[in-house]
Amino acid sequence: MKLREIAYSRSGDKGDISNICVFAYEDIHWETICSEVTVDRVRDTFGDLVKGDIVRYELPGTKGLNFVMTQALAGGVSRSLRADPHGKSYQSLILDMEIPSSV
Amino acid sequence: MTKQISIGCGSAWSDDRLDWAQELADSGLVSYMGFDCLAERTMALAQIRRRDDESCGQDQRIPELMERFASYLSSGGKIVGNFGAANPSAALDDVLRGLRTTGVSGVRIGAIYGDDVLDHVRDQNLELPEMGVSVLDLGEKLVSANAYIGAEPIVELLEQGAQFILGGRIADPSLFVGPIAYELGWAVDDWEKMAAATLVAHLLECGTHGTGGNYVDPPYRVLDDIAHLGFPIAHVSDDESLITKLPGTGGAIDTGVVKTQLAYEIHDPCAYLTPDSTSNFSNVWVEEVGPNQVRIGGATGQPRPDDLKVLVGVDEGWKVVTEISYGGSGCVSRAQLAAEVVAKRLEPYNPVISEIRYDLHGVSALFDHQLPRDEPAEVRLRIAALCQDREVANAVSFESQYLWMGPAGGGGVVTQIAPAVGVTPAFLPRDDVKVWTEVVDT
Repeated sequence: MKLREIAYSRSGDKGDISNICVFAYEDIHWETICSEVTVDRVRDTFGDLVKGDIVRYELPGTKGLNFVMTQALAGGVSRSLRADPHGKSYQSLILDMEIPSSV
Repeated sequence: MTKQISIGCGSAWSDDRLDWAQELADSGLVSYMGFDCLAERTMALAQIRRRDDESCGQDQRIPELMERFASYLSSGGKIVGNFGAANPSAALDDVLRGLRTTGVSGVRIGAIYGDDVLDHVRDQNLELPEMGVSVLDLGEKLVSANAYIGAEPIVELLEQGAQFILGGRIADPSLFVGPIAYELGWAVDDWEKMAAATLVAHLLECGTHGTGGNYVDPPYRVLDDIAHLGFPIAHVSDDESLITKLPGTGGAIDTGVVKTQLAYEIHDPCAYLTPDSTSNFSNVWVEEVGPNQVRIGGATGQPRPDDLKVLVGVDEGWKVVTEISYGGSGCVSRAQLAAEVVAKRLEPYNPVISEIRYDLHGVSALFDHQLPRDEPAEVRLRIAALCQDREVANAVSFESQYLWMGPAGGGGVVTQIAPAVGVTPAFLPRDDVKVWTEVVDT
């Protein structure tokens, strides 16, 4: 199933850095999200869209993850030639990730 | 009696709507409103407007704002905003003119200056870490340099009785941290308090994003009446921080909406850096205590960063974007052929086009080919280029539009040419940024 079934997300931008958070709808899915939504899986999901590092941070207080991806916006909002220079739609791409349906 | 402040957001960007902000102002529910008017590129674009005309470069909504908020100001409501953008003194003139026009008097205005550090950055030949060059390497391409200013001058102006405070690149959260610190008597070097104020500010500063604007995703996430979102409100005291919104408006203040705003653009949740504090949001808690009422807390603070972030604007010439649609069987092939034809016709310009890309909306424009799908019913070819010279941008636009003449069945051409301004971060020691204020009575 898609990550979208159990999680929601939002993306933001600073310069050429994209910041995407992922939160569990239900607290019981928090551990699954932590174990499935790894930096490696996120790198696979974004492919060449992200040229730099991906760092994962945790927000245990609110059961959330925060991914900070550098060189991820084709140079940043104002100079990028991409159709979505802010990467606003990245929040939807991350939720398209397949995760095991047993959860 | 416990001190409390009720503060709302009135704007999250340079072209945000003022009608809903006015609804909040006229509700009588808030005594302060913070207006963030600046996204990263807004400042650089404003600097270009000022370069072309010395009386421009400030927020362009001030005349409308003064009209809509005359009643709020007359009843003693306070406003803090970075309306100055690239030209705070022109913004001050606009505010004074607006007060005269609407007949509102007795408003003390405070203006904050000093965020424009272009000369200083040039003198220091500051390093630009993301670009791997120094400021002087940019030559004529250097457009602007603005330091992010914190809440301190806002507190000082409030202490002097200012009712309307404006400045240039005041950091987004500081617009709210200033009033909270002033009203509750929180010291600007009490890092726990600054983190608590920054948490509230962070949940207000994005306006209607913070009440669900960027949250809805049916059928999983559905909110009522998102056609008429409300701006967010915070009620803050020593004991409690409560986030809510204007009753009768759409969207929501619930745990889901608040959490996505909490993590928005903070990078490391253990060290969210602003001019006012180093805040740790990793153990923040969010509790729904009623319909559209969320209690928040748990932020902890460390000393504010020694350096201030500076955003440097870089002239990148012109950005030209042209789109054309193809539909039906074979539409992807025809769109790809169209891209090849344009690329061939533009070959003579290759040495003077800085960058060009061809994307297919409906196939790969947002995510490259990371989400493979079956052939769509229709696609839209998007041709985008960066060019130093306007003439070259014109040529790219012309050749792209010439797709009217084939391959077959392309329609709905739209083309646009606009100045391209890049922004890149730099850092200055706090003491190198000299901030000063001015008070004007009306």
